[in-house]
Amino acid sequence: MSALAYAWRSLWRNRRRTLITLTAIALSIMIVQAFHNLAIGIYARMIDDGVRAGSGHLAVYRNGYLESREEGLSFLPGDLAKQVRAIPGVSRVLPRIYLPALAQSSSDSRGILLVGVEPDAERAVNPFLKKLPEDGMLRDLDGRDAVIGKRLLTDLKLAVGRKLVVTAQHRDGTLHSELLRVRGVVETGIAEVDGSLLMVGRQRAALLAGMSGEIHELAIILDRADDDRRVFPALAELTGSRPEVAAVSWKEAMPNLANAIKLDYAGQKFIFVIILLIVTIGVVNTLLMSVMERLREFGVILALGSSPARLRRLVLLEALLLGLAAAALGSMLGSLFTWYLVDTGIDLKNFVPENMEFGGVVFDPVLRAAWDLVWMVRIALFVTGLTVLAAFYPAVKAGRITPVEAMRHS
Amino acid sequence: MTLITLANVFKTYRHGSLEVPALVDFSLVIDSGEFTVLAGPSGSGKTTVLNLVGGLDRPTSGTVTVDNLDVGGAPAGILADYRLRRVGFIFQSYNLIPVLTAAENAEFTLMLQKVPRPERRRRVVALFHELGIAGLEERRPSDLSGGQQQRVAIARALAAFPGVVLADEPTANLDSHTAEELLDLMRDLNTRRGVTFLFSSHDDRVIGRARRVVRLEDGRLASDSAAHR
Repeated sequence: MSALAYAWRSLWRNRRRTLITLTAIALSIMIVQAFHNLAIGIYARMIDDGVRAGSGHLAVYRNGYLESREEGLSFLPGDLAKQVRAIPGVSRVLPRIYLPALAQSSSDSRGILLVGVEPDAERAVNPFLKKLPEDGMLRDLDGRDAVIGKRLLTDLKLAVGRKLVVTAQHRDGTLHSELLRVRGVVETGIAEVDGSLLMVGRQRAALLAGMSGEIHELAIILDRADDDRRVFPALAELTGSRPEVAAVSWKEAMPNLANAIKLDYAGQKFIFVIILLIVTIGVVNTLLMSVMERLREFGVILALGSSPARLRRLVLLEALLLGLAAAALGSMLGSLFTWYLVDTGIDLKNFVPENMEFGGVVFDPVLRAAWDLVWMVRIALFVTGLTVLAAFYPAVKAGRITPVEAMRHS
Repeated sequence: MTLITLANVFKTYRHGSLEVPALVDFSLVIDSGEFTVLAGPSGSGKTTVLNLVGGLDRPTSGTVTVDNLDVGGAPAGILADYRLRRVGFIFQSYNLIPVLTAAENAEFTLMLQKVPRPERRRRVVALFHELGIAGLEERRPSDLSGGQQQRVAIARALAAFPGVVLADEPTANLDSHTAEELLDLMRDLNTRRGVTFLFSSHDDRVIGRARRVVRLEDGRLASDSAAHR
């Protein structure tokens, strides 16, 4: 017999009470683990969609461009794109031009954002371009094909195959116009993008603005989102020799998305804290009851020569065992729930609008979790620690018992 | 050789503003190897004497010395160690720990002393054999009769080889036959092992088997059969 055996058996004196407490702790661990994993899955999906349609996991800009979006702040990529492509973990490198411009059809005109891209590379990663039919995509870098946002198409009363004129400011200060033909229509679900996006080949955009090989953004798509910690230093080293440019992560390039995720997760954390607080109060109650019921026994243990510190340790050991058992059960349930959420997910199609936007990214109504094993272990250990912490007051109370008083207790 | 000395001990309990004297100018000397019963009616101060000698309580005034240790004035840590290594307790209602087996209960003080498990078990098995409860090692207290439980409690009190065993009304919850058996057993242990026994009782049949009878009345020493010494 050891202190461990005594603590474990003591825990099960009141089987029903211990089971209820254990279940409550385990369920809280399950909920926190599964909903964290769900949030991580949703965020990962949003980030992935966001970076593929937007600025990439990492991006290189001319200094000041991100803050001002001033089209004059472009840079010559030179060998940079080729060098970045060689960094392990980099999947695609996408040079882009962004120009504020005016689009005119025969019936209407609109202010637009003209985006010059490399069609093949872009289509390989951009989820909206992937959806376009083969004959709906830009064919070359300097062609007159245009892919247009759906709302812009409607606003300009255009149709696929119809022509439009785009006017933008040339580097020489004059206004230049290009005749383009609508080849494809994209619908991102984001009203602002669908109402202003016009995509053309990069060289056509450069010609319009007189940029001769310069770009505004070098978007970098990684094989895995968490490769950025490895790739970023290598990228920073490459751009280090060019003081006019700087590498940034998607969090800086897409602050709306980063902040929306941060805010959403802060709300989740608050709920997690409330859940854990309620459970902790339950644990304090259980352990306190367990101590108060055993006053006489604790008196005997003290009379037999145990020190109050040892008695306190026995109560804390019981809490530790309770916490560990709950952590094991909770993690098992949390894993099962996460597995379901990864495999099947939660379909919200019936509850939310089809194209719900969140942080500038369209929200997939089928919510799927992603495994975050390290965090799952951490939360299980945290809750175990919390259970031990909850036992401090009951333990101190047990340590304050005087044997004579306690043994009078029936 | 003197083992226990209580000199001019006063013990007063407070119940709100009321002061209740439990011992009044009580003095007693017990030698090593004695088999002494504290006799007297309920409330006469028997349990208070045992609590003071066992280091479970402190005198209001006077001194309690056991084996040269000032039990009345020693710090709590020293007292815990004193109870662990030098005193064995037997309680009226056995006070076995219900979640532990009989052997585990008997081993409890040895576990607190960090005696290795095989040595603990060896000592307890030998004691169970000596106390006539061999074979009951793995039973829980709830599966034992009152007499068997009290034998386990005796085993627990003796397992750590204490200098003195204090027993508070050890036979009060037992039928007379079992009580006599148990008392014979304690006397036998006292004779063979030389363990000093100090116990309390108000049962005349039990008192009649003691070698020395110290009678208390209202917290005072009424008589001592060894007073002639």
